[in-house]
Formats: sequence, C-alpha cells, structure tokens
Amino acid sequence: MFKRLLFHLLRGNRVRLTVALLALVSGGAVISALINLDLDVTHKLTQEFRSLGANLVISAPQTATSAPGAPSLIDESAIQSLHRHLQRDENNQQRSVVVAPYLYLVARAGANPGQPVVIAGTWLDRISQMEPWWKIAGTGNLSRTDLSHCLIGRNVSRSLGLTTGSTVTLHDRGQSVSLIIAGVADTGGSEDNQIFASLPVVQTLAGLGGKIELIQLSVPGSENQVRAVANHLQAVLPALDVKPIPQITEAEGNLLQRIRFLIFSTGLLILVLTVLCVLATMAALAMERRRDVGLMKALGGSIQKVVGLFLAEAGVLGAVGGILGYALGMALSVWMGHRVFGASISPRWEVLPVTVVLMLGVALAGALPLRLLGNVRPAVILRGE
Amino acid sequence: MFIRLLKESFTRNPRRKLLTGAALILGMAVATATFTVAVDVGDQLAREFRSLGANLLVTPQADTLPVEIGGVDYRAANRGAYLPVSDLPELKTIFWRHNILGFTPFLDVPVDVNISKSGAAPTNAAALKSVPLTLIGTWYKHAVPIEDGSTFITGASLTHPWWKIRGQWFADTAPANEFGHGVARPSRQALAVPNRASQTEPLASTADFSSQCVAGVSLAGKYGISIGDILNLSAGGRSAAALVTGIVTTGDSQDNALLCPLSLAQYLAGKPGQFRQLFVSALTKPADALARKNPDTMTPTEFDRWYCSPYITSIGRQIQQVLPGTRVEAIRRVAETEGRVLSRVSLLLWIVTIAALIAAALAVGATSATTAIERRAEIGLMKALGATNFLVGGLFLSEQLLLAIAGGCVGFLLGAGLARELGETVFGVATSPRLIVLPVILAAAAAVALVGSWIPLYRAAHLPPAPILRGQ
Repeated sequence: MFKRLLFHLLRGNRVRLTVALLALVSGGAVISALINLDLDVTHKLTQEFRSLGANLVISAPQTATSAPGAPSLIDESAIQSLHRHLQRDENNQQRSVVVAPYLYLVARAGANPGQPVVIAGTWLDRISQMEPWWKIAGTGNLSRTDLSHCLIGRNVSRSLGLTTGSTVTLHDRGQSVSLIIAGVADTGGSEDNQIFASLPVVQTLAGLGGKIELIQLSVPGSENQVRAVANHLQAVLPALDVKPIPQITEAEGNLLQRIRFLIFSTGLLILVLTVLCVLATMAALAMERRRDVGLMKALGGSIQKVVGLFLAEAGVLGAVGGILGYALGMALSVWMGHRVFGASISPRWEVLPVTVVLMLGVALAGALPLRLLGNVRPAVILRGE
Repeated sequence: MFIRLLKESFTRNPRRKLLTGAALILGMAVATATFTVAVDVGDQLAREFRSLGANLLVTPQADTLPVEIGGVDYRAANRGAYLPVSDLPELKTIFWRHNILGFTPFLDVPVDVNISKSGAAPTNAAALKSVPLTLIGTWYKHAVPIEDGSTFITGASLTHPWWKIRGQWFADTAPANEFGHGVARPSRQALAVPNRASQTEPLASTADFSSQCVAGVSLAGKYGISIGDILNLSAGGRSAAALVTGIVTTGDSQDNALLCPLSLAQYLAGKPGQFRQLFVSALTKPADALARKNPDTMTPTEFDRWYCSPYITSIGRQIQQVLPGTRVEAIRRVAETEGRVLSRVSLLLWIVTIAALIAAALAVGATSATTAIERRAEIGLMKALGATNFLVGGLFLSEQLLLAIAGGCVGFLLGAGLARELGETVFGVATSPRLIVLPVILAAAAAVALVGSWIPLYRAAHLPPAPILRGQ
C-alpha cells in the first residue's frame, strides 16, 4: 500500500518532480565535481611544479679537512641504498622520485692547451625528467651507458664553435676522451656553460672511479611531504647531507596553499547556493502537496503515515538526484581535468556517499514544512484556505 | 492603478518576496565575489610566483665561457667581462618599468681569507693560515635613485626571497657617486666609503668596521665561522677587513661563499662600479602563441602588440635596449613553470567562477519559478476580473524586475565585501570593488529572475481562469 502510494506520487505531477530532480541533479553534479577537483588539485599542481626540477640535494658534508676548492665526494653505492630506501617509501605513498647523480670536472676542450669548460657527468636518460625545461636541438634521448656521446650547453656551442654531430676532445691531467655531440641544449641557466656526458666518462677522465659529487632528487608532493622525505633520507643516510632546495619547496608550498584556499572557498559558496536552490524547489513541491495531505487525513490516514509518505518521496528524489548528480559531476571533473591539466582526474568513490547524503539531507530539509501542515485540520485545507 | 497594484503586492505579502529576494541577494553576492576575485587573481598570483625569485638573467655579451662549479668560478682572475652599475637605474625607465619588481647585481671575487675569532687576541689572527674563498658582492636592500626622483629599494631580498639569515644582513654602504653625477641621490645622508682598513693597524674592536659580510651556511660550518668574527680579505694586493654579521642559508651555491656589499667586492676585485651578473625579477604574462614567435620575423602590428605585452621575452628585449652590451636570458626553469602553472590555475579559477555563476542563476531561477507558481490563483482572479494578458504579465514581470534590481544592488555590496575578505585572506591584498561589475550583475539578476518566472507565468496567463480559481 505504502509502496503503491509512493509510486503513484512519483508518477503524478511529473513536471514539478522533473524540476525538483533537475535542481537536485545539477546541485549534486556541481558539488561532487568540485569535491573531486579539490581532492585532486593539490596532487595535479605538485605534479606541474615538478617542471621546476630537483627539490632535494644530497651531498657529502663539507669538512675543514677536505682541501679548499675540492668538493667532498660520495661513493656511487650511495645511490643504490638511496633507491632501496625510496622504494620502501614508494610502496607506502606511491611516489615517483626521479634520482640523478652528478660529478663535475673542469677539463680543457679542444687541442692543447684548450679552453677550460665544466663537464658534468650524470645519467643522460634522466635529463628529460629532471630538467624538463631544456630545449635540445638534436638528440636529447641518450642512454645511461652511452659512452661516446654528450650534450653541450648553448654557450659552449657558441664559444667553442661546436654543433651537433661534431666531435669534442676533452682532456684533464693526461687523460683524454673524444665525444660526439648528440645535441645542443638551451637550458636558460648556468647549464648553458656546461658539457653533459655519461657519469663513467667523467669518472674516468677525472680519475675518480665510482665517485659522485652530489645526487639530485625530484620528489613530488607538498612542501611537508618533501620535508618528510628529506628527514627520512637524512635519518637512513646519516653520513650524507640531505637538503631541500628552499627556492623550490617554499615557493611551491606557499602558492599551493593559496590556490587551494581560493578554490575551496569558491566551492563553498557554490555549495551554499546549490543547497538554497534545491531547498526552494523542494519547499515549493511540499507546499503543493498540502491538498494531498488534507485529503489523506480526511480519508483517515494517520499524520505519521502521511508525512512519512511524503518524506519517502523527498528521500527517493534526493537519492536519485545524488546518484545522477555524482555521475554527471564525475564526467564534469574528468572534462575539467582534461581541459585544465591535460590529464584525467580519476573519479573518487568516496565522493558518492558524500553527494548522496548531502542531496538526501537537502531534499528532506526542503520537505520539512509538511510536518507543520500536519497540525492543520483537513477541512481547512480542503476548502483551499 | 498599475503602480498601486505593484505596491499592494509588495506590502500585502512581504514573506512571499523574501525567498526570491534572499536567493537574488545571495546569488548575486556570490557572482560578484567570484567574478571580482577571478579578475584580480591573475595579477595577484603572478605576484605570488615572484617568490620563486628572479626570472631574467643579464650577463655581459662579450663574456668568456664561465667555468663555474658550485658557485666557484675557475676562470683566471679578471678574465671575463663586466657591466657598469651606473646603468642600472635605466631598468626603471623601460616601457614595463612597473613590472620590474626587483634586480640584484652580483660580482664574484676569489679572495684569500684570514679568520680571526671574535674572542681571540688579535695576535692569533696572523697565525691562522689564509684560505682561498669566493666572495660575492651583492645588494640586499639597496637604494637606487630612479628617473622620477624617487628611490627604488632592491636587492636579493626581492630576487632571492628564500634566502634565510641567522643574525643580520650586512650594512650596505654605497659610495656616494655610485650612479654617476647626473642623478641626484635623494635624501640619503652622506655615507662613509667602507673602511678599507689596512692590516698594518691592529684591529681592536668590532666597532671599527664599517665593512660587513655574511657567510654561507656550509662555508661557516666548514671553517667554523660564527657571527662576530672578523675576516681579513685580500685579493690582488688589495685588502679589507669585514665583520661577519650573519650566517645565510640559500640552498644554492652561495652557501659555499661569503656575501658582502657590492662596493666591497668591487674594491677587492679592482673593478669599481662594475658587476658581472644581474638577476631581474619581472612580473610577466604567461607565454602564448604570439610570445613564441620570433620577434624579428613579426609583422609591425604583431611586433607592437608583442612589445607592449609584458611577455618575458619582450621585457628581456627592453632591458637589453637600456643596458647596452648585455645578453638577457629568461631563467627558463622559473619562467616556464610559472607560465604553465599560472595559465592552468587561472583557467581552473575561471571554470570554478562560471560554475558559481551557473549555480547563482539556478538558485535565482528556481526560487522565481516557485513564487510564480504559487501565485497562479491570483493570476486567475485578475483575469476573471477582466485584466488582459499584457497587464498581468507586465505586473508580474515588473515585480520581478524591482526585486532583481534591489536584490542585485544588495548582492553587489555583499559580494564586494566578500571579495575583499577573500582577497585579504588569500593574498593579503584587498581586492577593490569594480563598479563596472554592478550593471553586469543587475542585468544578470534581472535576466535570470525574468527567465525563471517567465515560463510559469506564461502558462498561467494562457490558462482559462476558471480551473485555476477552482484550484486545479
């Protein structure tokens, strides 16, 4: 009986119900899209900030005993232990940390005596991730084990007169090596003055086999997460200095906080508006039902039963509106993700219950004026007063 | 008659207008607030990005290849080219001068340093062996006189805002004729040229030192330098003593160097009035299709538009024009990230703003429709008494219009307050209310309220009055 009545209520007066449902669905869609976006926006933006490159540097601590001018070196094995610790960390937090070792050397380029130039030994395959802002004319993708090629900075290319395809001879204290230039990098920084070669090449040239000078890490995450990784690494690698690069981490944290707050407060305003809209529609629907309430009471329905019926109607509307709104909202946030970040924002299931409960609550709150009408005598209502 | 009817409608049942009015006020307040913030926020965010520091680097064009690792330049002393400091006030004369937020010259000098600890007797100083270090001369907060007669305070505090000092920054005492004779130095008391005390005299107390410097944190750790120590610096036969006033953490190569006022480094390098590198922090617009074009191949119209837009490339070009013999490069690591994040965030904010506008329209429309439906009986009665459709429609629409204008005005004021609050919380700068938004908001409010009530009113007006009056 209750179910049949409910069914009839939902089928009758379809126009009004459609308006109410429309309000609920659009409200639910906007709210769930914004919640989904707000949850993902930090992650997406920190990803964007990774184009700033390394935000952590690991080096050997400076001591007075090391010769002035000569940098303290780290054993290459430190990278392996670093990877081990990061992996354990990664399983917990699903991070993709980019790691690259560096060894610098001042060598002479060209025929004796040659011009002094800085050579950086690194993993050439990591350059595209570590320094995504580089523009490389020629081949940028070199393998880590490529011992015959190198990349040169723009200024090096200009002042030594070297271009892609030519060969550069580097020598330092009797050692020498000839490398084919695979590409010229426009880096917009001090790297424009350097030559980039594979780590083993520079190690051999410098006579420092198995040694590196520093390790750079690009760690995704918020300022606090990066600091946590730095502290964790410092704890497990006590012999080394782990330092966040404050230029990057601080600016990033600062900006993210502001952007999130802005989106969050706008979202909150939209939420208030949507709730108001749904509430108004539901209240209007409830007022229209006054005559039905009066009729049912006149026919002997108890007030609890009658109000329960209408609340059930509102509840069904709220739940359906919430679910449809969620589906629409997820589509909306996926579209926004593509439009804004060029990457999809994955729909989150935890947003569904939030949206449904919210819409249910709003629909029921809108139907609440009915409860007061229960006090009115049916005759008065039926007379149309 | 029409006006009386209108007045009656408002005074008789004010509660009925309350819902529509509240929705209008709230909706228009949110629309005003989000719109104002979205318009203002681009500028504010671009300004925030300057906490990443400088985005342009100026170097001498004729420079030899720098051989620099970790802040130590391995070029032979005095190799390479220099630029005159006296040109720097010109930076504030370019077309986008207000977008130049700060600039800092750098001059690095290899020096030999003798450290005398603050507590130790002066005789011990000679006993310490000297160590070769890099001394970087720069500005922290330095007054630069500019064309319009005012003073521009600039330095590393603006271009390298993440530098953290323990203790104090060096006192920057500039030579009086630093920027040439042509420009009057406004309201600065005559400052003594740094005391380049020769080491022949014993240096008794720290009060004698007008030369001060700060030490990089790694350097300080390595040599045990602490605040209050006195460093005897010498390079190329010139020498000076400087008091360490602070320990600086930069997270960069400067951590391994000493930082001192530019004038001291110039004296030690034997390059008075010159510098080697200039970092400029400029407010820029994210690069778009026009900015990526080569300015040399642009049509004259395109070139004008490019030149008059604050792209990083056009600002760089303008700097190059006022500082002859220089090469101006965008620090791409900073500039590109800034452009990308900025354009994404502003797009995101515009989408959210549009969502807020749609939500506001929905709320106003829905409440207007609700009140219109409730008044169908009234319409029926009026029509039964002989009112034309035109009169009925006119009455109800002007009612909505009045509500929309009143609600829009109140909403605008509320929204301006909200935007102000939001701007102050997020950026610490209150957004100024824009009067241009008011007519837009009023028009939007009227349109939404009319559209919302149009359909139910239209249907009511075209129904025969009898069934409506019967309540069907």
